Amino acid sequence: MDFFRRMYDWLLSVFWATEMDVTMLGLQNAGKTSLLRVLAGGEFTIDSIPTVGFNMKRVKKGHVTLKCWDLGGQPRFRSMWERYCRGVSAMLFVIDSADVEAFPVAKEELHLLLEKPTMEGIPLLVLANKSDLPEHKNVEEVNEALDLDSIQNREVSIYGISVKRETNLDEVMKWMIKHAPK
Amino acid sequence: MSYNKKDEDDAGVVKVDRTSVFQEARVFNVSPVSPRKCRILLTKIALLLFTGEKFPTNEATSLFFGISKLFQNKDASLRQMVYLVIKELANTAEDVIMVTSSIMKDTAAVGSDVVYRANAIRALCRIIDASTVQAIERNIKTAIVDKTPSVSSAALVSSYHLLPIARDIVKRWQSETQEAASSSKSSSGFSLGFGGGGHHLAAANTNYMTQYHAIGLLYQMRSHDRMALVKMVQQYSAQGVVKSPAARVMLVRLAAKLAEDDPSLRKPMMKLLDGWLQDKSEMVNFEAAKAICDMPDLTDAEIGQAIHTLQLFLTSPRAVTKFAAIRILHQFASFKPDAVRPCNQDIESLISNTNRSIATFAITTLLKTGNESSVDRLMKQIASFMSEITDEFKVTIVEAIRTLCLKFPSKQAGMLTFLSGILRDEGGYEFKRSVVESIFDLIKFVPDAKQEALAHLCEFIEDCEFTKLAVRILHLLGTEGPQTSQPTKYIRYIYNRVVLENAIVRAAAVTALAKFGVGQKDPEVKRSVGVLLRRCLDDTDDEVRDRAALNLRLMKEDDETAIKFVRNDSMFSLPVLEDQLAHYVAGGNAEAFANAFDFANVPVVTREQSLAEDRTKKLTTATPTLKAPSVGPKKPDQNSAAEAANNITVATQRYSQQLQAIPELSTYGAVLKSSPVVELTESETEYVITAVKHLFKEHLVLQYDIKNTLTDYMLADVSVLCTATSPDDEEVPLEEEFLIPVPLLKNEDQGTVYVSFARPADQLIAASFTNVLKFSLKEIDPSTGEPEESGYEDEYQVEDLELSGSDYVLPAFAGSFDNIWNGLAEGDEAEETLQLSNAKDISNAVDLLVKALGMQPLEGTEIALSTSTHALKLYGKSVGGGKVAGMVRMAYSAKSGVTVKIVIRSEEDGLAALVVGGVA
Ligand SMILES: Nc1nc2c(ncn2[C@@H]2O[C@H](COP(=O)(O)OP(=O)(O)OP(=O)(O)O)[C@@H](O)[C@H]2O)c(=O)[nH]1
Ligand SMILES: [Mg+2]
Repeated sequence: MDFFRRMYDWLLSVFWATEMDVTMLGLQNAGKTSLLRVLAGGEFTIDSIPTVGFNMKRVKKGHVTLKCWDLGGQPRFRSMWERYCRGVSAMLFVIDSADVEAFPVAKEELHLLLEKPTMEGIPLLVLANKSDLPEHKNVEEVNEALDLDSIQNREVSIYGISVKRETNLDEVMKWMIKHAPK
Repeated sequence: MSYNKKDEDDAGVVKVDRTSVFQEARVFNVSPVSPRKCRILLTKIALLLFTGEKFPTNEATSLFFGISKLFQNKDASLRQMVYLVIKELANTAEDVIMVTSSIMKDTAAVGSDVVYRANAIRALCRIIDASTVQAIERNIKTAIVDKTPSVSSAALVSSYHLLPIARDIVKRWQSETQEAASSSKSSSGFSLGFGGGGHHLAAANTNYMTQYHAIGLLYQMRSHDRMALVKMVQQYSAQGVVKSPAARVMLVRLAAKLAEDDPSLRKPMMKLLDGWLQDKSEMVNFEAAKAICDMPDLTDAEIGQAIHTLQLFLTSPRAVTKFAAIRILHQFASFKPDAVRPCNQDIESLISNTNRSIATFAITTLLKTGNESSVDRLMKQIASFMSEITDEFKVTIVEAIRTLCLKFPSKQAGMLTFLSGILRDEGGYEFKRSVVESIFDLIKFVPDAKQEALAHLCEFIEDCEFTKLAVRILHLLGTEGPQTSQPTKYIRYIYNRVVLENAIVRAAAVTALAKFGVGQKDPEVKRSVGVLLRRCLDDTDDEVRDRAALNLRLMKEDDETAIKFVRNDSMFSLPVLEDQLAHYVAGGNAEAFANAFDFANVPVVTREQSLAEDRTKKLTTATPTLKAPSVGPKKPDQNSAAEAANNITVATQRYSQQLQAIPELSTYGAVLKSSPVVELTESETEYVITAVKHLFKEHLVLQYDIKNTLTDYMLADVSVLCTATSPDDEEVPLEEEFLIPVPLLKNEDQGTVYVSFARPADQLIAASFTNVLKFSLKEIDPSTGEPEESGYEDEYQVEDLELSGSDYVLPAFAGSFDNIWNGLAEGDEAEETLQLSNAKDISNAVDLLVKALGMQPLEGTEIALSTSTHALKLYGKSVGGGKVAGMVRMAYSAKSGVTVKIVIRSEEDGLAALVVGGVA
């Protein structure tokens, strides 16, 4: 009995196991590194240091392995986003929903990236992070600020989350797995 | 089996080329990653990089990007490979900074299976930028004191590389570094965290590399704090503290550097160096001995222990030890043969050693330390194995003989036979060049050898494969040949070249040939040179034809005009020309080149003068400049006698330009002689004053260089009250004409006062000048930095300045001293016997007297071969052009020191006594 069970698992892993590449981008201090840490089962910390370049972690969920590329958000790294996004299955764009002043820059960088021909068709999930903070803007407001409705020819979703409170993170996971290559 | 293996190897090597490797790089992007395939590909990239292949930037960048996809793979060896390659690509690829965060994680990884941590640390420091160093501070500090030697070493070496970009941060890691330096972690062999944790070699070949790295880093951290360095050297030099011999070698170098940089540290550091001579590691002993031998101005006491240690190694059973010892002794013997002489017996036993490298050095060392009588025997010994050694060692031998030729001119016959013999041997350009140069020296400086040496060169060019050498020899034949008794002999050899050689040699031959025809008194010879040159007018090469045509034309001119063209005997002073050109070229910006280089400022000297300079240089270059280049430019060695003579000529030429630029002096004509710099104060007084005496045909100009070392005072209206008195209290026929004062000397400023005297052109005068500095002293207001309105007048008496015979004499060179000496037998002669209280031994006395008498030592007599007696032969010309020669016999005894008998002969009346008077 046990043997069949293991046999079944093995078959499952051979025929169903998939690895998918996902990139996480957004301006500095948006919470990308924190998000990845928590998704991978780690603890949330306040003293997270800025990412120099990129940072990669694997997150396993069922038969899917997510290779998450967390890219640095400081200006000097933004030109490199495109290169790391080529050929990925999905992109997560994280934004600090309490930092209104940064919205215009975030919008500009996002659209600049999506215009590139190599980015064509890649599904995009926008995450309005830090919903635990009182001054945060809601999903509609962020949607508007980033002018997401103007984006065409790709699937775009937006969720409000809090990495700190771990609000809505399951939904993020589900969204990603849904976009795993079959 | 063995066939198979070979097959595999071949296939492996053949397949690796840059293009195919670059194409294979797709495997980095395949998901999931195949660690095995990636590792193989990375190995190929590493192989290419380590064997000198260079990827262009775009390829390197895209490889780098591909490799960054492999990060965080579970396969530990893949991670190691990734880091190794990243480290190498970091210099060429762009955007390498992108992997910083990823690598940072691995530098903090812990666990016994983490084999890649050291590699991660080493890779990180190659890609990190200054602003991020702060973020890895904690990781590196922990790694420095990690118990795994590979990790600790990696962190130390990386810190060393980080110093230039983040000095302040790295300097905070001193205590960790110190801990690493004193701990005795041992690593075994080459398993610096490499190749997996699987194999731990038996700790037989333990080394303590971490200590070496730690001490190296500490040194860099403290390099600006000499006291800290001294403390460090002292602390770690204690026996048993530092287990790594490599680290102790570094301490030796450090101690040596400290001793050289700061004279007050010389004594304690020398003591440490002597201690390391007893170290149980040979490598440390050698380093210490070498460091001691490299010290400037060594006393016999300082060198004794080191020479003794090296002597013991000479009898070691191991060839490499013997080699190391004899090599150091060989170097050292060039400038302190006396110190090496006690080892002669042991060195003697090495001259027939089967290891020819050892034998070569043994013989060349003995050539330096031995006396004239051993030369022939040693040369025979060398000849016996000349064919067995490499060109490099042959050159060493030839160089030794070349100096010997100048030192023992009487041995020229044997040396010439030897040199011409090896000139016929097989050998490369460098070797042949050194032999030819040596023969050139014989021709130039040993008159007795000239005829035969020229004959050997003629024979050599008959079959010489090196165009450059043929051209130089032809040039020499052209200058020397016409003055020999049988010029026609050379014409034949030269003309053969015109017939048989390539265009460059043919052109040189034509020019050489012409020198026999132009200004030729013998009409027969002149006619035949003309015939030969005319034949060259049909040459296929333009240059050859042009030269022939030009020279045929010159032969028709009257001799005086023609000779000016082909046998011009004056030339630019090469040291000055070189110096000025170097300054011109180093001018820096494009504007510096707006004006063409001005040859008018380069003094012209006679060939004789130039030869004299050349010869002194040749003898002194036998003194190797062994100082490590890191120490910076070496102070000119003012002590060496030959240098001193050389410097005077060059200095006179330099000053003459400066003086020309002063309007009041510009009508004085050429400077006949400028004296060496005379110090009139100690170097640590409030005002530091030095003087130079410039002699013109009808004037004497005293130049006082004054430095104000006071920080809170300025000097205004600075002049020198200068009173001349004669030694016999008669009135001095020198009349002060005028004085050029310095208007203002700020603190730390230097200025020059000139005092000009009229002197009778036909009279050589000795005098003594008392010098009083006069000025008005103004205090600087600390709040404004401005000097007060009114100062007060002050005076400052400095030491006297003497004008004596040597100020009228310039060093000059001649081939034979005896001819000159005998030729002056009818002239003026003066003699004096005295004890030199300030000379500690014979060679010191030689240096002092050469300087004081201002003449050129001849026949190699500036080098004293015996410690008890010596004869110094000197030659010079007075500013009026008359010959002056000196013969100084000296004897040393422990009781009375150095006693000298000076005899001077001069063409001009009264000069001999004046010269002697300057020393007595
Ligand atoms: N209050 C709150 N703070 C958060 C949340 N998520 C992240 N942070 C904080 O935001 C700061 C930045 O987080 P990081 O994850 O380092 O930001 P990042 O996007 O990776 O920044 P870069 O690496 O510079 O691009 C940290 O101090 C986090 O503690 C959140 O949900 N709520
Ligand atoms: Mg980050």
